[in-house]
Amino acid sequence: MTLDLQLVLLAWGTLVGLDLVSGPQMMIARPLVAGTVAGAILGDVWTGLQLAVLFELFQYDILPVGAVRYPEYGPATVAAVSAAHAAAGTLGLGLGAFVGLITGMAGGMSLHVVRRLNARAVQRSGPALEAGDPRVLERLHAGGILRDGARAAVVTALGLGLGQLARAYLVGGLPPHGVALLNVAAVGAALAAGTAGTLRLVGRGATLRWFAAGVVGGTIVAWLR
Amino acid sequence: MSDTTRARPPLGRTLLRLFTVQGSWDYERMQGVGMGVAEEPLLRDLRRGGNGTAYHSAVARGAHFFNAHPYLCGLAVGATARAEHEGLPPEQVERLRTALCGPLGSLGDRLVWAGWLPLTSGLALVGVALGLGLPAILGFLCVYNVGHVALRWWALRAGWRYGARVAVALREPLLQRATAISGPAMALAVGAALPLVARFLSGDFHGPWRVAFAAVTAAGFGLLWWRRQALTGLRLGLVMLALAALAGWLWP
Repeated sequence: MTLDLQLVLLAWGTLVGLDLVSGPQMMIARPLVAGTVAGAILGDVWTGLQLAVLFELFQYDILPVGAVRYPEYGPATVAAVSAAHAAAGTLGLGLGAFVGLITGMAGGMSLHVVRRLNARAVQRSGPALEAGDPRVLERLHAGGILRDGARAAVVTALGLGLGQLARAYLVGGLPPHGVALLNVAAVGAALAAGTAGTLRLVGRGATLRWFAAGVVGGTIVAWLR
Repeated sequence: MSDTTRARPPLGRTLLRLFTVQGSWDYERMQGVGMGVAEEPLLRDLRRGGNGTAYHSAVARGAHFFNAHPYLCGLAVGATARAEHEGLPPEQVERLRTALCGPLGSLGDRLVWAGWLPLTSGLALVGVALGLGLPAILGFLCVYNVGHVALRWWALRAGWRYGARVAVALREPLLQRATAISGPAMALAVGAALPLVARFLSGDFHGPWRVAFAAVTAAGFGLLWWRRQALTGLRLGLVMLALAALAGWLWP
């Protein structure tokens, strides 16, 4: 993969990371979008779509309410697609999931660090804020967005680097059945996470019946195709 | 309405700022600083006649603690800015902000995070699994954001229109209906998507690998359900991948 492509992926991952919290929250941070566009950038939409769907299932495990801490799957999916594309072939899905999950965990931790840094900046500007100085307010806000942008860039770069490392050490190191096991584990875990997360959201009662109707309908369509 | 209220408030500028309302999110004021930045254009009229004190006090109050759903923050921004223009006592403005946190957070979580977002994403998953590819993703982005931007704009305008009586806006029939419908619609869409994406992702698994896939999924789901307080999807995924890599490496 050329340096140009890596830089474009880095820029895309940064935008995706910014969209998660800082704004505009138009859902390019959703794995479905982040992964597909990363695939398109690499000229490998199929790999992009597969990992986008896989991480979208992991995303269903998260309900971003209040101040809850959660993994960040946007830049993670970009890194996953990059790793899977470079290790073309069947190793792609399992390797991509491995790189993406670690990057997602790092992304979640980095959000916590940025929020603490923001809190410190607010404390330092306490008197000016209480005096109602709009310039201080805007400077604080811009500082927060810049910090989040830097955070997203670092997380994406970490993921892309991890992809290079994993490729170097894992490709060729696993026999074919090992590769198949890795893929089965990745897809199985994603589907389990997606189902459990959705059921937590659905709860009991009438909504559960709608969910069951959807599962039956989806199963029939999947069987007929 | 006081004579300091302009006929056409700068709602467009405030809306643009609201798109970054969480840009400076922190553990103390949460969305407070972002809310203050978004509200500031609506408060500029308070400086008329050289009365800077009212303006600066209102800006300071605008940046105090706030936490709600980001798409509905506009309702609080509009309502408190209007209340400042109407000359409500500072304590009453603070109470209004505090009172709005819970309802706006709860409504937004049900309507967007647990409704509109998984509904549109579930439909996109169905589209991808049925072979639509990129158009399904583009469709998701367009449809989701039509609802997203419309909700932000409605919230800001409703807040500014109703001011301290903003609770009236939260009882609008359309909003109530959307909240009631979004849960079942989301459940139906995601329910339909799950078997379809299972087939989409497992297309390369044949024979015993399909059985292994079903067993891994069932075991993973069982673990996540049984240990739902401690185990997350991310942890489960990492553990399963580590076990699979180890088993694959040891397998002769």
